[in-house]
Amino acid sequence: MSDEPEAQPAVWKRDFPYEAAAEEEVTRREFARYLVLGAGAMAVGNVGLAAWTQLRSINEGEPRAIVELDRVAVGDTHLFRYPTQSDPAVLLRWSETDVVAFSQKCTHLGCVVYFQAEENRWHCPCHEGNFDAESGRVLSGPPTRPLGKIDVEVRDGTIWALGRVES
Amino acid sequence: MRTSERHRRASSAVVVYVIVLMSLQVFLVTVAAEAVLDDDEALAWATAGLSVALFLAAAAFLRYLRP
Repeated sequence: MSDEPEAQPAVWKRDFPYEAAAEEEVTRREFARYLVLGAGAMAVGNVGLAAWTQLRSINEGEPRAIVELDRVAVGDTHLFRYPTQSDPAVLLRWSETDVVAFSQKCTHLGCVVYFQAEENRWHCPCHEGNFDAESGRVLSGPPTRPLGKIDVEVRDGTIWALGRVES
Repeated sequence: MRTSERHRRASSAVVVYVIVLMSLQVFLVTVAAEAVLDDDEALAWATAGLSVALFLAAAAFLRYLRP
């Protein structure tokens, strides 16, 4: 048993023994400390994102034959997968000799874009994003980055994908 | 103005400053996520550096906050 006397409550609290919910609230300093801890966690997360951007390897794709040029009419599109089977892509033959290809994923939230011939643009139906048909740059809507471009060329009557173009 | 009153106001200003820094951190996280999606290493590292600097500033300001 301890010889120390028990801590006595303050006189006013002994005379008026009520409890207030505010007694359980955090102090201003604690609140600020939680904020700073949260800011620290976000700083760590930002450093992690930067390191991830630096270290990850992006599959740029290997040269591969896609489709014979004759099978795609001028102004028509052809769906394919590139560089992996999980990456939907689309190519557009916009003249007798010129072909462009893009990732089919909208750079906003990843919905699939499709070609609108009458507007000459790639259209994302999810949030009304629009991209230029030939360059893939943003025309309107919420996307801020152009469509992922795929380098293509025609070799002996066959359209080849050569790799993804770095943005 | 009395000294205690001045200290109380300065202490409140520190809380507001920390809240503003926290808001900037949230914004920087969105910028970093955008940099990752865009594979923009320079922007990602710049964001990370600024984020760490803001955190250190916020931690330093805690010293001036009265209990």
